Amino acid sequence: MNADSPSTLPANAQEITDPILPTPAQQPKLQIRLKNEDGIVKLILPTEAETPASASWNDLLEQLQQRLQANTRFWQPLAVVHLIAHDRLLDARQLQAINDALSDVSLQLQIVVTSRRQTAVAAATAGYSVTQQVSIDPLVPPTNADLTPLLAEPIYLQMTVRSGMDIRHQGNVIIMGDVNPGGEIFAAGDIIIWGRLRGIAHAGYPNNPQCLIMALQMEPTQLRIADRVARAPETPPPQFEPEIAYVTPQGIRIARAVDMKTTPYLRELALPPSLRPD
Amino acid sequence: MTRIIVITSGKGGVGKTTVTANLGMTLAKMGHKVALVDGDFGLRNLDLLLGLENRVVYTAVEVLAGECRLDQALVRDKRQPGLVLLPATQNRKAEMITPNHMKWMIGELAPQFDFVLIDSPAGIEMGFKNAIAAAQEALIVTTPEISAVRDADRVIGLLEASNISPARLIVNRLRPKMVEASEMMSVEDVSEILAVQLIGVIPEDERVITSTNRGEPLVLENNPNSRAAKAFENIAHRLCGEKTPYLDLSVDRGNILTRLRKIFTK
Repeated sequence: MNADSPSTLPANAQEITDPILPTPAQQPKLQIRLKNEDGIVKLILPTEAETPASASWNDLLEQLQQRLQANTRFWQPLAVVHLIAHDRLLDARQLQAINDALSDVSLQLQIVVTSRRQTAVAAATAGYSVTQQVSIDPLVPPTNADLTPLLAEPIYLQMTVRSGMDIRHQGNVIIMGDVNPGGEIFAAGDIIIWGRLRGIAHAGYPNNPQCLIMALQMEPTQLRIADRVARAPETPPPQFEPEIAYVTPQGIRIARAVDMKTTPYLRELALPPSLRPD
Repeated sequence: MTRIIVITSGKGGVGKTTVTANLGMTLAKMGHKVALVDGDFGLRNLDLLLGLENRVVYTAVEVLAGECRLDQALVRDKRQPGLVLLPATQNRKAEMITPNHMKWMIGELAPQFDFVLIDSPAGIEMGFKNAIAAAQEALIVTTPEISAVRDADRVIGLLEASNISPARLIVNRLRPKMVEASEMMSVEDVSEILAVQLIGVIPEDERVITSTNRGEPLVLENNPNSRAAKAFENIAHRLCGEKTPYLDLSVDRGNILTRLRKIFTK
């Protein structure tokens, strides 16, 4: 895939330019967020509205465990966790499961922040400190301010993204490890893979064509940026080197990472505005 | 401390049950007390491979239903006194079993043994969840095929999420000749994708089929020529923490070739 002339797609690469991808409304996400603020780990669960009806508690717990294990280097042992449960209904058993998952990576759950009375009662009974948020009326639509598509903070995951896993994030995604065939990454921003990309990477999801996909070794099943899709050539190149995928008016193209500053289009995306030509 | 190990793969037909039977037999030969648990409810065949089918009276389901005691369901192997089998049910009530049942049953079983090996069914549904519920470690069996490797990758992800570690890899049915001709994925290709520790490579061996059909695991009879039998023994030793060198499979290729040549020149 490392073409000599970086602005052309390899001769036998296939390009599909029709926007065939689902819009975010059709594909709700289930996303647990972990944040480290002044030594306190905030575990933020998706709200009920953000949770697809098909996603079960077990899906959520599985994702939590995967996420915790991919980040163990980033907190001190026995760090304190604040669980931001939003409007999610949690019973004693589920709180216990969350606590078990946290203790496995030497974190301790201390405060539960919730807007649901039942969750607050269950958490208080189990001996956690409880902060009750003002509940948000689910019947009142959120104001436009909440819908501003600002990128979330990047997530950094040290893990192998294996077959059947998908990582979804409203920001940039950095994977320290491989993305195996069958693994998928959807990011509203850029995707940086410090490893091999063999699965599917979708940057600029759903509609930002200015985003990039970078990998030390590009052998993807599919590359997607905004509403464009490209497939890798049938025959892999004899040697791999770090590459960057980006969008041109002709579709998705790939350049060697070392050529970033000399490649048309890519250069304009990659450089800060003050350094761009014109 | 009992080691509770699940043998799993995702894909069917890659040799989970054969690996379970042969590893169990080898560990018992080494003097350990071993319990093999058939986790493939509804489609049991670990008893067949061990040649114990006609001695199964009660199964795990009767134990869970309270119709018999756990030790009544255990089938002792006369050839290897250290080995027992807890058979799975063939037909009824297989759906009623939950991960909690398995945890309870294996918790009852474990104190009497050094090793509990659980043979998992193919797939990642309820049967798989039952099989891994009580396990502390896992052996992932795969063959050098993309479909088997893909499924193994998925399974490793699920095991990681369930905190079962270490998960170690067995590459089964390798054909060194095809690997050298670049017609088959190599062990390096497979372990590069799966990124878990390799514990053994088992070469393709027709004697596995004949021994399976006879109900006598390959390692039971002394088979000094069988590289597969040797590979099973090596895995058992590595499982016990010994450093055992890997078989030189390229020599095997020469042997097969010379053997074939002998056959053809006769």
